[in-house]
Order: sequence, then C-alpha cells, then structure tokens
Amino acid sequence: MFAYNLKLAFKSLNDRPSLTILMVAAIAVGLGLFMTMLTLSHQAGKIPMPHISKQIHLVQLDNREVTADEAENFNQMVDLTYQDTQNLLKLPSSGVEQTLAWNTNGILNVEEQEIQPQRSSVVATNQAFFTMFEVPFLYGKGWDSDADQFSQAVIVLSKKSNDYLFGGINSVGKQVRLNTHVLTVIGVLDDWFLARKFYDRSYYQAWPDQAFIPSNFAFDSDLPRNARFDCWSTTTNPGKFRTNYLTELKTSECAWITFWAKLPNHNLEDYKTQLGQYIDSQKRLGRFPRENQYFLTNINDQLEVISKMIGREQMLGVISYMFFAVCLINAVSILLAKFMRRTKEVSLRRALGAKKRTILQQHLIEVVFIGIIGGLFGILFSYIGLQAMLRVSLYASDYVRTAADLMPYHQMDWEMIMMAFTVSVSCTLLVGLYPIWRICNVSPASQLKAQ
Amino acid sequence: MLKMENVSKIYRTNLIETHALRKVDLHIGAGEFVSVTGPSGSGKTTFLNLAGLLETFEEGDFYLDGQNVKGLNDNQLSELRNEKIGFIFQSFNLLPELPLFDNVDVPLRYRGFNAKERKDRIENALEIVGLSSRMQHLPTQLSGGQQQRVAIARAIAGQPKFLLADEPTGNLDSLMAQQVMELLEKINQQGTTIIMVTHDDQLARRSHRNIQIFDGQVSDLAQDQTDVLIKSE
Amino acid sequence: MEIKPIFLSIKHNKAIAMLVIIQVAITLTVLSGSLLLTTSTLKEWNLPSGIPHYNIISAVPEFYDLEVDVRQSLIDDLARIKAIPEVINVSPATQRPFDAQGIQTIYLEASDEAQEYETNIFTGDANLPEVLQLSLIEGRFFREDEIVVGQRDELPAMPPIVMISEAMAKVLFPDNNALGQTIWLEKGAAPAEIIGIYSNFMNGENLNYFGQSYRTILQPLVTWQNRADPSYLIRVEDGMADGLLETIRNQLYKVDGRYVNRVEVLTRTQKRMYDGRGSHAIMLLVISSVLLLITAFGMAGLVSFLVTQRQKQIGTRRALGAKKWDVVRYFMLENGVLTTIGIVIGLVLSIAFAFVLTEDSGVNILDMSYIFATAFFIILVNQLAVYLPAKKAANVAPAIVTRSA
Repeated sequence: MFAYNLKLAFKSLNDRPSLTILMVAAIAVGLGLFMTMLTLSHQAGKIPMPHISKQIHLVQLDNREVTADEAENFNQMVDLTYQDTQNLLKLPSSGVEQTLAWNTNGILNVEEQEIQPQRSSVVATNQAFFTMFEVPFLYGKGWDSDADQFSQAVIVLSKKSNDYLFGGINSVGKQVRLNTHVLTVIGVLDDWFLARKFYDRSYYQAWPDQAFIPSNFAFDSDLPRNARFDCWSTTTNPGKFRTNYLTELKTSECAWITFWAKLPNHNLEDYKTQLGQYIDSQKRLGRFPRENQYFLTNINDQLEVISKMIGREQMLGVISYMFFAVCLINAVSILLAKFMRRTKEVSLRRALGAKKRTILQQHLIEVVFIGIIGGLFGILFSYIGLQAMLRVSLYASDYVRTAADLMPYHQMDWEMIMMAFTVSVSCTLLVGLYPIWRICNVSPASQLKAQ
Repeated sequence: MLKMENVSKIYRTNLIETHALRKVDLHIGAGEFVSVTGPSGSGKTTFLNLAGLLETFEEGDFYLDGQNVKGLNDNQLSELRNEKIGFIFQSFNLLPELPLFDNVDVPLRYRGFNAKERKDRIENALEIVGLSSRMQHLPTQLSGGQQQRVAIARAIAGQPKFLLADEPTGNLDSLMAQQVMELLEKINQQGTTIIMVTHDDQLARRSHRNIQIFDGQVSDLAQDQTDVLIKSE
Repeated sequence: MEIKPIFLSIKHNKAIAMLVIIQVAITLTVLSGSLLLTTSTLKEWNLPSGIPHYNIISAVPEFYDLEVDVRQSLIDDLARIKAIPEVINVSPATQRPFDAQGIQTIYLEASDEAQEYETNIFTGDANLPEVLQLSLIEGRFFREDEIVVGQRDELPAMPPIVMISEAMAKVLFPDNNALGQTIWLEKGAAPAEIIGIYSNFMNGENLNYFGQSYRTILQPLVTWQNRADPSYLIRVEDGMADGLLETIRNQLYKVDGRYVNRVEVLTRTQKRMYDGRGSHAIMLLVISSVLLLITAFGMAGLVSFLVTQRQKQIGTRRALGAKKWDVVRYFMLENGVLTTIGIVIGLVLSIAFAFVLTEDSGVNILDMSYIFATAFFIILVNQLAVYLPAKKAANVAPAIVTRSA
C-alpha cells in the first residue's frame, strides 16, 4: 500500500507542476529568509569558549562614590581602577588565574621599507591571558611573568599581522616596531575565532585585535588608553587620561580596566571571600565608600544581558518570522487548491474501497516530500541570503572588516541545516493539516452523483 | 414563442466531430407545456442548453420571443437569459450559502430591479411555491421537494416567458414530484411557456406536446397524435 | 452591490476567509513596518553635500614617532602637496565633511543657563573655504595672519574670530543678522566674533541624523596634539581625484615616523556616512517587495482554488443571467471585503508594531500616511492578483449546470 501511495503522491506532484513549484517556492523563500536570520542570531548567540565560559568571570568592584546610581547588573557597573587590578593580582591566590585587559593602538611596522606600516589595535594584558583563554599559538608562546614584572618589550602577533609583516614565517625572535618602540616577537597566534570578543567587553564580532603586549610595557611606553574612564564626579574631563596624566590616573578612583578571573566551581566561594576581605581592607584605607558590592559575572551571564540590547538585527528577525508566516499561509491556500482539484478522484477512490487512512497516507507523503524539497531550496536560499548579508556587512563597514572574519557568522552549521529540514517538514505538515483534513473527509459518493 | 430553424450543434475535439443535434426545426408556441424525452446521450441536454441560451450553435437560426439569438455576444445572451428564461434543474442548483430569500434574489439582482421591487417579487414567488414562511432558511435545511420549489420560485420571480425544466422531479420521490408537477402546471396556466426535459413517460404525458430526441434528431409529437413521427429534415 | 451574499459566502468558507484576512493583516504589518523603518532610516539620506566632494581628497596621516617636528613637517607637507600640478588648493583640517566626529556645544552667552546649540567645528587655514569651494554670503573670509597655529595644549589663545554656515546663522540668530555677533565655543572661554557667513556644507552623520546637517563653524586654527595630527583637505582639478591618491600618499610618506592612515576622495567618505543606513533600507525594501509578490501569488492561488470549488455556483449564476463581468466583479468584491477586514486588523497591528519600533529606536517613526498608503497599495495588488483567476472563472460555461441531467 505504501509503495502505491508513494507512486500516487509522486504522480500528484507531477500533476500540476506549477502548483507544486509555487508551493515549494513559497516555503523555500520564507524558509530562506527565516533561516538566514535564525543562522545569524544562532551564530551571534554563540558563546565564546563554551567549554570554559562559565568559569571565566568578569570582576568588578564598586569603588564609586556614595551618590552613584545603584547597579542592577554588570553592565551598569564600573570596571577596575589601576590600583585595584594591581592589588588583586597580588592576592594570595590558590590557583586562581587572573588577567587584566585594556585596549590601545599603534602603528606596527618593520624595518623592511616595502612593507608599509599598519595601524593596529593592540591589547595590553598579562601572561595569564593566554593560558586562561586557551589562546591557540602557531609559533612560540605567550610571555612569562617576568615579562610582566619587568615590562619587557615583547609582543604576540595575530596570525594576520604575522602574515602581513613577516609573510607568514615563524617570526619568533624577530623585531617589530610598535610606533617607535622596538619589541621582540615572542609568539604568533593561530586562527583564534571568538564568537564574540568578550575580553574587552566590546562583544564585537569579526573585529579581531592585531597584537598583544604586556600591560606594564604599554604603561611605560605611554601608549594611548582606549577606554571609558568612569571617574568620580570630582575629576574633570576624564577623557584626558586617554593620552596623558598617567601618574594621576594610576592613583585615581577612575575605573577603566577589565579584569578577569578563571574560577572553577570549587574556587568561586573562596574568591568571593577574598574579594570581600579585599574591599574591607580598602575601606580601612578610606576607599570604597559604598556598601560592599562587587560583581562576578561569567561569560554566559554577560551575553544574556548583552543579547537583550541588540536591536536592529532583532527587528529584522521579527520581520523574518512574520514573512515566514505569510509564506506558510500562502502555502496553505496553494495546497488547498492543489488537493481540492482532486476531490472527484478521491471520492472515486473512496467509493472503490480506499480507506481514509490510505488517502491520508498518500497526501501525507506528498506533503512531506514538498517539505523536504522546500527545505532543500530553503537552505539554498538561506545560503544566498547569508552571502548577501555578508556583502551588506562588508559594504556597510566600508570593507574594513574582511569576508574571512565575517564568514563564521554567516555560515550554516549542521545544527542549522537539520533545523532547516525540521522546520520545513514540520511547517509543511502544519500547513497541510487543513487541506489534508478536507480531502480525507471527501465522502465516497458525493462527487460521483454529479457526474 | 420559440422557433428553431435548421439548428445544428457539433462538438469538436481534435479527433472527432460529434453531431449532438442535427438540423433541428421546431416551433413552440406561447403558453405551451412541452416535454422533451429521449434516451441518455440522445442530445436532450444539448437541446436544453441551446434553448436556454447556455450554449451557442453553429448552424441555423433560433428565434426566442421573436428575436434571432444567433450571433449575440455573451453579455447579450446573459441579459436575454435573465429576462426571458427561468431554469429549474434536476439537482436544484441552489447556492448553498444563501438563504431562500437571497437565492431567489440572484436573477433579480442581475435584472437590475430596485430593492422594493425585488422584495415584492421574491415574496410573491415564494408565496406561490408555498415557502414564504421559510425565507431566511438555508437550502440545506429543506427537503428535496422544498428545495426544488425554491428553485421554481427563483425561476419565476423574474416573470420570464419561458421556463426550462431539466428533470425537475428526477431527484424527488413521487409525492414530492407530484407537488412540483402541479406547481408547474399552475404556472403554465398563468401563461408561462414550459419546456421540460424528462425521461419519465408518465410526466411527459402530462404535457401538451411531447418532443422526442433520438441520436441528435428531433421528433415533434403532438400530444394527441403520439405515434406520428415527423422527421425534422 | 451584492455585499450581503458575499458576506454569507464568507461565512460559509470561514477557513479561507481567515487565511486571506491573516495574510493581509501580517503583510500590512510587515510592509508598513519596513516602510516606516526605511523612511526613518533614509530621512536626511544623501542630502546635497554643498561642496564639490568628488574633487576633494582627504588625507589622514598620523605620527607614531613623537620626536618628529610636526610644525616643520606641516610646512613641508603643504609645500609638497601644492607642488603637485593637479592640486588646486590644500588646507590642514581636523574634521572632514561627512565625517565630523563628536558634537560640540556652543552658546550665545557666558552664563551657566545659556541655551545649548549643537554643531561641528571645522578648523583649517585661510585656504579652507577655497578648498571646499564655499561661497561667501556675508562678511569676509579669514586672512592669512589670523590663523592660529600650534600644538593644542600650548596654544596661547584660541582664535577670537569664527565663520559660521548659513544654516548655523539661521539657528543662532533667526531674527538678527549674525554678522558681528559673538558666540562661546566653550563655557568659560573667551567668546569669538562672527566675521563671515558661508554657504552650507554637510557636516557628518551625528548631526545629520538629527536633521541638523549643515550646522558648521569654521575656526582659523591649525593645531595638533600628540598623535592627533592635522589631516589635509585637498581640492584637485576636475576628474583627477582618483588618480592622485597614490601620489599624495607617497608625498606624505616622505616624512619618516609617520603612518598614512587614509587617503581618499570625499565621495568615499560620503558613501561611508550613508552606507549603513542605505544597505539596511535596501534590505528591508527587498524583503518587502518579495513579501508583496508572495502575497499576490497567494491571493491568485486562493482565488483559483475558489474558482474550481465554485464552478457549479458560477455556472448557476451565469445561467440565471449573470454576465461575465458580474462574475469577475463578484470575486473582486469578495476579495475586497476580505482584504479590507485584513487591512483593519493590520492597521491595528501596524500601529502597535510602529510603537514597539519607536520604543526600541527612540525615534518616533509612526506616520499614518505611510501606513494608509501601504494599505491602499496592498488592496490594489490583491485586486490585480484576483483579476486574472476571476477572469478565468467568468469563462465557466453556463451549460455546466445541466450536466447533472
């Protein structure tokens, strides 16, 4: 029976090809846009380093003045002051890794004249950064604690910078200049894909940094500090700290450095205790005028807060859902038209002894098949859609971002492909519900009498 | 009166030509009650379609109420149909979603009567068929005989000169059929020409005149000379 | 005419009626939402630049060697650029048209409660108006000797004079002549006298977004600080701009310890200013038109379904005297009724959607005229979509009614 129904279903698909094509097209186009937006949000919603993301905590201490606003979550809280980062790094640690990070920039250049200097965004951090975040290395490795302590002029290059400056060779030991400072390459990163650049709290996608240097070296060289300075209201024009007044900044209550601790579960409580004690000790020195408050927020929780604030794409998302809904409603009418044309045939089959079940099966097969075809074309359309979105992103960034960097956010993975098929088939079944119900309830005799 | 001269109807497909009607000559006078009989496939339906202006024909002339309908366009045919002819079908062909009132209203709308006139005519027609109390009922709420009476009301509401009935009692049991026939006779007595297609000799006998169709050829049998066969050629 | 039978028929085919209504409602919501977003996005989009931007090159070098004598290299740069034969004029600048960074607040009085006016301040030497080809509306341009030159935090005093754009003048002094008036570019600083008013030119995205595109102030100032070196605006002969980018870049690289970040024709700067909005809007429009197409197809499909369903009924009507046009009109009217119901629901949804979007973006985008226009357009498209299958319906032979015999 199944084979026979299969044959009938295929015959019926061929019967009015224009209707079949229209139906497949409606589903595929709707699904295409839907999956495009779903893939974008799926990829954008991915958590960087998912296997350790729950251990990586952003550390924030509330050193603000008494009159400051209450903070509900980490996003409304200030980062750390320079002095607090230094103090926390000196905490008697029990195996807790901590790192700090702030953004700077400079011109990377090498002796060779034919390679033009390149403006680069650079992260100032410490040695723990590379181990904590499991940064992959192509050549060499991160610097050691001596380099931090003695402000050594060492640098870790991204793969792309290494390709640009050194033609992709193992450049460890070679010298590179950041502005006029000569640094020794100590490591070259491999491709390091982060779903979102979390460590500077920008949560950017596809804006990778080009180099990493020891924070103390960056201070000594007085590199620009690209940060927001959250200062007490007594500080006028905090923007001045960007390029100046380093000594004043280091002793100020201006918070601007992101600080991270890797806290496996068993360490969390200890660390909290330590933070509490630290704040108390600072209170005795006249700092931290507010009630004890600190935030320890892991990456997952951060992204949860952040993802609620991303507007424009969500709007397109809502539109794509509605768009899909319209396409499905369309598919209902097309399917209805397709099936009801066959009322007479079905009625005759019923009269000749076909059970309702058989009729149901035949039409289910047809609908599922349409769903699968629609899914296939839907995936094709979403591939095209994602490519188009990629071009739009490139265009809109004036080609500053590269297709290679953006690619991971515009790519369907297996999860999405399976999703597309599931959505397609289940939605076609949903769409088919009413038409199938109608055709199955055609009474055996009704249409014969009129012949 | 209705007059056909040499009317032929040919159905063409790619392969064959079928002469559904061959050179029909026929005259039906005003106020007659004519029955049309013949076996299945003889061309009864084609005759009805031609007479009812539902189909066009290739050869001959057809005068309906003195007007030659040959060469009239679709719109003109529609108007003529609307004004001169009322239809009664075997399967009633009521519009299922419309209450009786609105079913009867359909041809009057196309006629372009104003609301008051339509209302009067509808009520009058339903009165004649004895269903004025059920004006707001849907067709499915009625029995077959009642439905056919609604169809009759719809057919006569516009006071057409001709009433074409296609097996009007075919789907009805004998009691209901009897009522419908009596109704038709009553309408005929008020001056409406009735042409009734049927395969039922009993019914045919109640008409003034019987026309037989065999294989597309019409034999006009006057009611009182049943065995005389007048070839149409 | 026959509205009542249509309602009765809709009541009879509830499922299909629902399909049409929902579809129309959602389509209207999505379309009008996209349209509102698009228009709000494209508001103030691609306005006239007021300058021959296609003939102006901006060059943004920066020094990474802090030992370089900026003052000297500035003189050298200008000399080298001027020496290029196709260059008409050049001026140092800290801001570029289409790309003005930050919004500055200026005041008409020194008091604390003084009303704030937002603007972008462009600095340059006496050649700047000539580079931008600004025309003088009133007063005079700067003289060579009025230009203040120096490192920003070592300047003895800010220039005591400014020029303002026509648009700025209208905002600051709607009733009076702006010429000779004084304004405060900074609270607590010395005021500056307006010595001239020039023709408008585009400032940048920030103010453009608030509909304040042409509010600018020119300051006779050539200044640098640390790495924030003066960039250059260079006007070249017509049509030569693209070919000169490399030449200019090479000239700038003649000073060591410098990185030339960006040398581009202002057309590219202009593109960058608008491209985010433009691409967003185009995306929405593409989606909307595909959606409209699909809706139209769906309508056509539904009506052809209804036609097959109602062959007999159509035949009956034809037999009872309906003309072909009556049948077409019936279907179009039926669709019209359903579409209208869908539109009414869609209007409510659209307004709600617009409110949500407004709340999200903080910009009021609700404009009923757009929603009504969209609604009208949908009705039109649907009617067109229905026309063809309805025409087909009209061809149902009236003889179909006798087939049961």
